[in-house]
Amino acid sequence: MTIHYKRVSGDAVEYEVFARKTRAEPLHQVGSVVAPDDDLAMAYARATYDEERWCEMAIVRKEHVIELWQPGEI
Amino acid sequence: MRVSLSDLVLSIADNKQMLGLRYAEWATRAPSLEADIAAAAMGLDDLGHSRVLYGCLEPLGADPRGLERESDPASLRALPYFDEPWTEWAQFVAANAVLDTAFTVMIEACVNGEVEVLQHRLRKMLLEERYHFLHGRSWLKSGIDAEPLNRAWTEAIEWFGPPDGEVAELHRDGKLSMGPRELLARLEERLESKAPNARVDWKGWDPLRRRSRPGAIDEQTFGMLRGLEEKKFAATKEA
Repeated sequence: MTIHYKRVSGDAVEYEVFARKTRAEPLHQVGSVVAPDDDLAMAYARATYDEERWCEMAIVRKEHVIELWQPGEI
Repeated sequence: MRVSLSDLVLSIADNKQMLGLRYAEWATRAPSLEADIAAAAMGLDDLGHSRVLYGCLEPLGADPRGLERESDPASLRALPYFDEPWTEWAQFVAANAVLDTAFTVMIEACVNGEVEVLQHRLRKMLLEERYHFLHGRSWLKSGIDAEPLNRAWTEAIEWFGPPDGEVAELHRDGKLSMGPRELLARLEERLESKAPNARVDWKGWDPLRRRSRPGAIDEQTFGMLRGLEEKKFAATKEA
């Protein structure tokens, strides 16, 4: 059986990546990754945004972010 | 033939070096841009880990590396899985999930053993390897061809060594916290799956290279390891 892989998975979910360099500063968004599950999203976030010496990194599914308003709504 | 802890550490180092190089070859060929970046990052990690492991050989007291490593690719101690570049993504995933985790499990055994230099120098690798594991396990769950997966499992079992071999002895001596049986159980536990019933003919097994199959890495990769590929692009005196 040959499995063909696509460059972009149809099941992929977008995750926002947050990080900070010191305990004194707040977490801020450093980018995003696309992955089919949390495990792969963690691996991708670490691989993609590990160029700085972050003391903390976290990811959040974009769909879990609750928006209060968007640009142009006020 | 007497195989020492240094021989085992050299085997981990050579395998990590080859794993890193094979990962890096997929940095522009993986199924997604994120997977490309992960392949490059994991490649760098494993090449770095191999450097740390080579650096442990002298403190261990006996560096088993000889001059033959400059001329004979069969003197390197990597598994047959790394002899040729991978042509299928499934080979990457099987190596990432099974072999990379097998090496990590052995490093755990070193870190939790009684040899101080290994306890201290290898600990950080376990943190970095967590992300290799997450990557491999997730891709493994998405389903890959059985052939590379079975091959990776078989080579991992071979690499852990025979039940009464030197890894078992190093475990009994306290230098490793796990022997072959415990290493395999730990690998199965981490991957949440059972190893296939692989029959290993230990009579034909090479205890230094920790493999049964003869052979060696391809010529181009061996040239690259020795710096010969770089020399092709070096400026000549006449230029």
